[in-house]
Amino acid sequence: MMSVKNKKNILSISLSVFATLFITTLLLLIIGKNPIEIFGLIFQDVFASGYGIGQTLLKATPLIICGCGLAICFHASLFNIGAEGQLNAGSFAMAIIALKMSGLPIYIVLPVSIIFGFIVSGLVGLIPAIIKIKKGVSEVITTIMLNFIVLGIVNYLLLDFFAVKSTMRTEKLADNLLIPKLSEYFELFQGSSLNFTFFIAIILAVAVYILIYKTKFGYKLRAVGFNDTASKYIGIKNNKIILLAFFLGAGITSLVGLNFIMGYKGYFELGFSNNLGFTAIAVTLLAKNNPIGIIFSALLFGILDYGGLTVNQQVPKEIMFVVQALIILSIISIDKIVDNYYKPKK
Amino acid sequence: MNAVEFTNITKKFGDFIANDNINFNVLNNSVHCIVGENGAGKSTLMKVLSGAYIPDSGYFNIYGEKKHFKSTHDAIASKIGMLYQHFMLIDDFTVLENVILGNEISKGMKLDFPAISTNLNELIELYNLGLDINKKISELSISEQQKVEILKLLYRDSNILIFDEPTAVLSPYEVDKFFEIVNKFKSENKTIIFITHKLKEVLVIADCVTVLRKGKKVYEAGKNELNIPALSKAIVGEVSHRNLDILREDKETQTSALKLENISLRKNKIIVLNGFNLELYNGSIHGIAGVEGNGQSDIIDVLCGLEKKFTGKFEPATLRTGVVPDDRIKKGMIKEYTIGENMILKNYKGNFINHKRLTGISEYIITEYDVRVSDIDSPMQSLSGGNQQKVIFAREAESDSEVLIFAHPTRGVDINATNFIHNRIIEQRNKNKAILLISSDLDELLSLSDTLSVLYKGRILKTFENIQKLLAEPGGNNKLVESVGKLMLGIE
Repeated sequence: MMSVKNKKNILSISLSVFATLFITTLLLLIIGKNPIEIFGLIFQDVFASGYGIGQTLLKATPLIICGCGLAICFHASLFNIGAEGQLNAGSFAMAIIALKMSGLPIYIVLPVSIIFGFIVSGLVGLIPAIIKIKKGVSEVITTIMLNFIVLGIVNYLLLDFFAVKSTMRTEKLADNLLIPKLSEYFELFQGSSLNFTFFIAIILAVAVYILIYKTKFGYKLRAVGFNDTASKYIGIKNNKIILLAFFLGAGITSLVGLNFIMGYKGYFELGFSNNLGFTAIAVTLLAKNNPIGIIFSALLFGILDYGGLTVNQQVPKEIMFVVQALIILSIISIDKIVDNYYKPKK
Repeated sequence: MNAVEFTNITKKFGDFIANDNINFNVLNNSVHCIVGENGAGKSTLMKVLSGAYIPDSGYFNIYGEKKHFKSTHDAIASKIGMLYQHFMLIDDFTVLENVILGNEISKGMKLDFPAISTNLNELIELYNLGLDINKKISELSISEQQKVEILKLLYRDSNILIFDEPTAVLSPYEVDKFFEIVNKFKSENKTIIFITHKLKEVLVIADCVTVLRKGKKVYEAGKNELNIPALSKAIVGEVSHRNLDILREDKETQTSALKLENISLRKNKIIVLNGFNLELYNGSIHGIAGVEGNGQSDIIDVLCGLEKKFTGKFEPATLRTGVVPDDRIKKGMIKEYTIGENMILKNYKGNFINHKRLTGISEYIITEYDVRVSDIDSPMQSLSGGNQQKVIFAREAESDSEVLIFAHPTRGVDINATNFIHNRIIEQRNKNKAILLISSDLDELLSLSDTLSVLYKGRILKTFENIQKLLAEPGGNNKLVESVGKLMLGIE
């Protein structure tokens, strides 16, 4: 039997998606477009071809990865807004170390650069954790501010030391270091850059799900999120949990680089993340911080993202940002409504 | 004349009947006690009266007038005020600001502070509340905060005052003071509905008593017909035969488990512990008596390693402690978690856990600790207070702690659960654990402790050894109560 909590979650998520669609329809009507036509176009472009599906999955992959990292923080009630900075630091480090190791075989380069990137992102995540523990400063403020600092540093290091002249990107990795594209094995995805990182993202989501819901660490993590005072008295080392949650959560965001650098372009480029760290917040919230749910909400955002590109000629691409914001607003407000509905009646 | 007439009140939550066709009257200008175990339906009935719940059927008359409250505002408008167990005060606001919040008297756009101040000070003087309206809530003790809540009700001109277990947070001395205030209310023509667990208080203060059990009214008596056996039988119903009295085993040699020497601690420049000494022995219960706010919570924080900025000696340096904290909802449990999930936070070897194992753990606790629960997967917040306390107790008792700290282990817990927990504390003692028992219930302290210390302003004033021997002497009980009582108030 389904628990009340699950019922609540499914109800509020589906209502939010429905409400978003409804408001979007109104918006399209207001700007004088035919909603059916627009939705039809998106649907057709995304699902009618293997290329569309591939591109959608490609867009969803980094969202799944980043969302999983955020979910760990959010479950501990750590509202990490700093994924954008964290993932850039780690991806940059990953690219640089991989470049420095060129010539070595992929089975050495890949693990070393992943671990290195993970640690760099994780360390960036530790900064707000330490400030929170030592001085009690809210992580919301520190993570937002750190985004600017970290992006500034990455920017400086890239342009002054590592960039190919008169570009904003590093050199390209050797071809033998790249993660294979799915199109090499499946005719269906011809032309799409979808690569095996997608499967890594799915495995990651399952692993994070198990970590959060099936391990003692996960129970402690969520206990701190629910009630840090009680956790303290129960004997949980809250500070350790906060440090670990931030290190793991931020560290995981670095794997975004795997998709872009190792699997797609082959180099690190300034601004490659394109506010991914913020979009992933919406993805994670929509999924109620559940990593399995994040796969699906990332797919939805992937459809919006890729679909938005395809209807660019009819409607401004920015309408997709509106849709994403609408999803966040609806989930936050509809949550409350559903909560009240399930409360014992007066 | 009746202030309140409850007529056929029924309130259900799903299949659970919290109030089952309740009828009784509350006389105007009287103190009416409502007594019953946890989950008997007292709080539900009061929430119906204060407009927080709407009854499924039935109604009540207020001063003879039929009322249907749709919200708490309706109740306030009918001059009904409720003092909740959990205070609703804003720590950073002053007494005055808290009291007027939501009911501000203004002069144009500005608050009329002089008028409000005069009004409040008059009330404080009339009812002898002894509050400084310019102090912040965070500077006040629990009993003073309670007075602020009462002042709120008075400021709103409530005539029918509902007190939900008001004495649970008070020391014996403060209870006496509180009763003086209650009597003053009566003399000012107000009606008081008083919810309590403590029979002694009923005998002192009640004009009339109604007993609820399992949602039904089972007993009613006026002041002159009251007798304790009938009353306690009505409350408890069938006494559960699980309540074995566990014998206190004699311990001959005692080994020291923990030693605190000359511990001092300042918090926000205020001295909270001042040369505090304590030694705990394995297989022995050390009781700490004292009015709340004399450093009890700080001792717990020091012992649990949560407070490290103290001076003095703490031996041994590492120690596994288990604590049943004073506030079970805030400090004791993760209310969103099930019983099993709360257990594994402390007592689980291994890193992975699944639903089947959790259920197994929950089932073990439910049978072993007599926890009453309708659904094994329901979160702790759906359990009654007594059952929550049993789970918290179980978690700490089942852990491999060397030292167990029990802070007010039976506060707000019904008689059956209290007996159960008391027996289990003795059991832990017999298992050679070193136990610190902090309580404001002197009966509890005397019946459980081997050694009893009195805490006053952050230091131990006096320690009585061999409590059980002292109690066995003729007149020992009275002597002990008297001297402990005086020490607690700092008279000696």
